[in-house]
Amino acid sequence: MTLLVQTLILGLLIGGIYALMSSGFTLVFGVMKIINLAHAAMIVLAAFFTWWVWDLTGIDPLLLGVVATPVMYGFGWVLYKTVIARVHRADHELAMVASFAVAIAASGVMSLVWGTELRAATPSYFNTSLEIGSIVVPHAQLYACGGAVALLLGLYVLLRRTFIGRAIKACAENRDSAELVGINVERTMAQMFAIGAATTGFGGAALSVIYQFFPESHFVWIGRILCVVILGGLGSLAGAALGAAVLGVGETITAIYIDTQWATTVPYILIIAILVLRPQGLLGERMRADGAHA
Amino acid sequence: MIAAVVTRAADRVASARKWLIAGGIVFVGCIPLLTSSAYIQNVMILTFLMCVLGLGWNIMSGYTGYISLGHSAFIGIGAYTAGILAERWQVSPFLVAPLGGVAAALVAFLLGLTTRRTRGPAFVIVSFALLELLGLLARNLSSLTGGSQGLAMPLPDWDLTFYNWPFYYSLLALVLLSLWMTRAIRRSKFGLGLVAIRDDEDKAAGIGVLTPVYKSLAFMSSAVLVGVAGAVYGYYVSYLSVSTMFDIVLSMQVVLAVLIGGRGTFWGPVLGAFIVVPLTELTNTTIGGLDAGAFRLLMFGGLLLLVTMLLPRGILPTAGAWLTKLKAGDTGRTGARLVESGLPTVPPSLRDESAAVGGDVLRVEDVVMRFGGVLAIDQASFSVPRGSITALIGPNGAGKTTLFNAIDGTYTPAAGDIVLEGKSLARADRTRRAFRGIGRTYQLPRLFNSLTVLENVAAVNSSFSVRRLAASAVSGEEAARATELLEFVGLGDYLDVKATDMSYGQKKLVELAQVLMLDPAVILLDEPAAGINPTLLRRLADLIRALNESGRTFVIVEHDMQFVLALADRATVLARGQVLMSGAPDVVSRHPKVMEAYLGDDFVLEKTMGGATT
Repeated sequence: MTLLVQTLILGLLIGGIYALMSSGFTLVFGVMKIINLAHAAMIVLAAFFTWWVWDLTGIDPLLLGVVATPVMYGFGWVLYKTVIARVHRADHELAMVASFAVAIAASGVMSLVWGTELRAATPSYFNTSLEIGSIVVPHAQLYACGGAVALLLGLYVLLRRTFIGRAIKACAENRDSAELVGINVERTMAQMFAIGAATTGFGGAALSVIYQFFPESHFVWIGRILCVVILGGLGSLAGAALGAAVLGVGETITAIYIDTQWATTVPYILIIAILVLRPQGLLGERMRADGAHA
Repeated sequence: MIAAVVTRAADRVASARKWLIAGGIVFVGCIPLLTSSAYIQNVMILTFLMCVLGLGWNIMSGYTGYISLGHSAFIGIGAYTAGILAERWQVSPFLVAPLGGVAAALVAFLLGLTTRRTRGPAFVIVSFALLELLGLLARNLSSLTGGSQGLAMPLPDWDLTFYNWPFYYSLLALVLLSLWMTRAIRRSKFGLGLVAIRDDEDKAAGIGVLTPVYKSLAFMSSAVLVGVAGAVYGYYVSYLSVSTMFDIVLSMQVVLAVLIGGRGTFWGPVLGAFIVVPLTELTNTTIGGLDAGAFRLLMFGGLLLLVTMLLPRGILPTAGAWLTKLKAGDTGRTGARLVESGLPTVPPSLRDESAAVGGDVLRVEDVVMRFGGVLAIDQASFSVPRGSITALIGPNGAGKTTLFNAIDGTYTPAAGDIVLEGKSLARADRTRRAFRGIGRTYQLPRLFNSLTVLENVAAVNSSFSVRRLAASAVSGEEAARATELLEFVGLGDYLDVKATDMSYGQKKLVELAQVLMLDPAVILLDEPAAGINPTLLRRLADLIRALNESGRTFVIVEHDMQFVLALADRATVLARGQVLMSGAPDVVSRHPKVMEAYLGDDFVLEKTMGGATT
């Protein structure tokens, strides 16, 4: 019983971080209907940034997530303006291929800059934990998850309660109509993409503390993110939160009760199973637009 | 002047083409005889592998339009299958290589199952997930695959002087086989259906393209030869490791190769392979040291990025467009006028049903449609008598198009039934409804833009048969029928025009011809009169009348009351998802309830108020 509770707690803590990591991805999908395969490369980039500054200055890596956020916002904005917007305009499927190319090229650049060894930020609390009875809650996971949940709530408020949030929603619904009512669509899209990228700032910081990583580990992370959004229904923020919890718990259960080496297969098995059995995701409802696109 | 020179040059190239191809194959076949350089032979072998992979990818992602980012998975499947079986049975891997192809085709079939209910972006995800999952399985199931230790293939037992020859020639044969298969697919009705799926899958399903079968077959043919090539490749490298056999970078390189050459073209994958592989080998030999891997990722990622941004269509289509531009001259007949003629004669290939009498062709029974919390159709019932033209009218948002979508199987109603010729359609999907006799056009015409007008009509199937899949795309009996129907709707001069180049009104006529190709029991027209000029409108009315006289039944959704009520002999009014009433057009159109539904209940009120103040 204790083991189960322990497993669930660890799974949910990881799930909170997965949710933040997937939120930007699902936002971009919801608006542009593209799979941004460079999203995980941005997370690893943010992780390298965090680790690098931590290594140089000793500043707390999770706090550095606050610095990494605007940095990644800027990166996302530039990526959108130079690549994504251009390709998306010409052929929206090619935009996915372009994002894949960016991911591969980025992992090459990261290898050149930071090398291919395994890295991890190890602040004072990286292997200490809070003990409640016989339940162990690692500090790093707890802080990272707390930060992630706070940022997710912030993102939710931003999208629901501010002008830019409503403008993004309008662009997602109908770009032409948004343009007609005076929304600067191009600018809004760039901001949206940049906000999506900004979520990788803290996501990467959390990754650098909790996991070991190297440039090509973005393939593993894109797998997890894809699983989260497929579980939750592509484009749904609330769905992503649920999907993240399911994946976090699923992976942890597999790792503890079966074997760690099988835990890595969980995201891919879930992706294929969901797409065969329930492609609209766990929460999703089939809507009118699913049947007919004119 | 230039145009003439270019045209002559192009013609000469075209006639020399056959010889060029034959010469190229002979030359490539002679390379091992001409040079014993293991380096050159190795580059050629890897290029052949990339050709097979690219040609396979092109069937799935070029022609059918499902972009795969995990195609190298089929190489791994083929290699591991052959490796494991060769070890178990103690036979040459060459002997079991075809089984590698079978295994790859089986996995491709399973992959196809995920596309039953999902499209584009989801498929990109699942193709990637499949590659990663298979890699992990190969790593974890170590008793079978050797895990991260890898799997050693048996050593070749032939003379080392000819060491590469068996690999070289078997992969070359696989390239030729892939080319032959691609050509066969492209020229068949099956290939036409694949392009239709790429352009508009829902529409394709509605005109009798049995999309699950087409996609499964396409995916399997896209994988089978790649699997065989993977087995040969595994034997060639003599040692299977997970990271080289399930390699995401190889998956990226094949996308790069085909995009460079030209996605959806015949020679594009081959051209791309001959560019990408030598480039890879060149950089392998020039860049060394610790950072070599990183540089390669940067270079290929960057190259793919540049191609998507600067050369998205690829070399061959771009060069083709250039040539056409230089040639100029033939501008097609898109500007020609429609000639008004009398009542058109219905082509004999359509069943004459004017003799059939009585009963309802189609009945809509208590259909309920919900979208989330919105009740779009609320227990709608009406019937369409045989041989009638039934107008389905009602204000915007009444649910008319939604009802069409429920009838043709685009949507599944929450309750109620659709009955055609006395039999429920509840269990029939969209394509089977097309086979059973429901033909439908769209408010905004939906044609397959990369096909010609004739191909658009020839792509239609009124039933499914394996033999028909193999039938030639645009010749034979069916093409003759398609031509006849296009002549009937007045587009006989436009057979070879690309669908995109047709005007809006002409597209509607092409769509009508597509529907007629099904020889349907009932034809559903969604706002046929919207946005077309008066001449075309009269033509359309004539066509509908002529078809109706030969016994064809119509249901027409329309806002142009003058047009539709003149044609119709029955009208059903829909408002807020409910059927208000059905009856003779002139009775229905004057009924107060109908006026109210269209104009609102305050219409009458305002009028009396206006009267009072003056």
